[in-house]
Amino acid sequence: MASSMILRSTLPRTFASAAGRSNSLRSALQVRAASSTTQYVPGGPILKGTVNDPTEFPHPSRMHGSYHWAFERFLAASLVPMTAAAFVTSGSSYPVLDGLLGLSLVMHSHIGFDSMIVDYVHKRKFSVLGPILTWTLRSATVGVLIGVYQFNTNDIGLTELIAKVWTA
Amino acid sequence: MMSARIGLGSVTRRVAFAPVIGRNQIALRTLILKRGVQIQSLPPSASEEILNAQRLKRPSSPHFTIYQPQLTWLSSIANRATGGALSALLYGFSLAYLVAPDTFTSVNIVEFVAGLPDYLKYTGKLILAAPFTFHFWNGLRHLSWDMGKLLSLKGAYRAGYAVLGATAISTVALVLM
Repeated sequence: MASSMILRSTLPRTFASAAGRSNSLRSALQVRAASSTTQYVPGGPILKGTVNDPTEFPHPSRMHGSYHWAFERFLAASLVPMTAAAFVTSGSSYPVLDGLLGLSLVMHSHIGFDSMIVDYVHKRKFSVLGPILTWTLRSATVGVLIGVYQFNTNDIGLTELIAKVWTA
Repeated sequence: MMSARIGLGSVTRRVAFAPVIGRNQIALRTLILKRGVQIQSLPPSASEEILNAQRLKRPSSPHFTIYQPQLTWLSSIANRATGGALSALLYGFSLAYLVAPDTFTSVNIVEFVAGLPDYLKYTGKLILAAPFTFHFWNGLRHLSWDMGKLLSLKGAYRAGYAVLGATAISTVALVLM
């Protein structure tokens, strides 16, 4: 009797581990829809819902998924010629290049930090710390953009600074 | 059917090792009357709670600490670490300039660096150039993967060694500049 009890309770988990990714995604969406926290135990989150619930797919958005991936690679690729150009010219002669480089660098850094947050502090498992870090990063990036703009406008600019410090 | 928490290990052992003839009577008497066992009625849904409470107490085997160091994952985490460090430097300086623009003017910074002893200047250049060049060359390696090239194990390793060589050469070039 006891064994059948344990068998029944672990059956949804067995299905979950067999189905893999789609089920964990479904559970994440269901948890969000149910607006309750998923309790995490070693072995995986406790899934809500039954095996007969349909899979929910995330709706397409230009901010996520393959659009985000493509934009990230395009940005990283564009940094290569910009850095090379910044090496050979000076920041004062081409302020537009300097500004573009600063903006691209900040965006590249933001996407990198965001990937680290998503990898290590995902909001599915860290329902409080994850969003806090995400919004801290966003506000920090806004501050950095303003700071870079101020520095490039009122002072000599990033490439010039690095060149001067390097040969100081 | 309700699951019950019953502690009957010693009782069942005694029943099991008793002679066959009297076993049933001993079982009936000992289980029901003699022991005064505490039985707690639980609904079927409680079994998952008990299971998860047990799982939380279980240790986990070493995994991350025993993985053999390999060029693949070492270069990957090094790419992330160098990128994070350089970005933290950029963010730190920009935010510092935002809150205290008069302290962190370029003139102040250049003067401060010029006043340092030579060995500190070379160390500082090394600490800045090595992560930057590694992240740059490994970034190119990563972009080639994104285009579908060098995705085999041989290709990834050859590109990885090329990245290490290019990092060493360009770091030396930058430090001596």
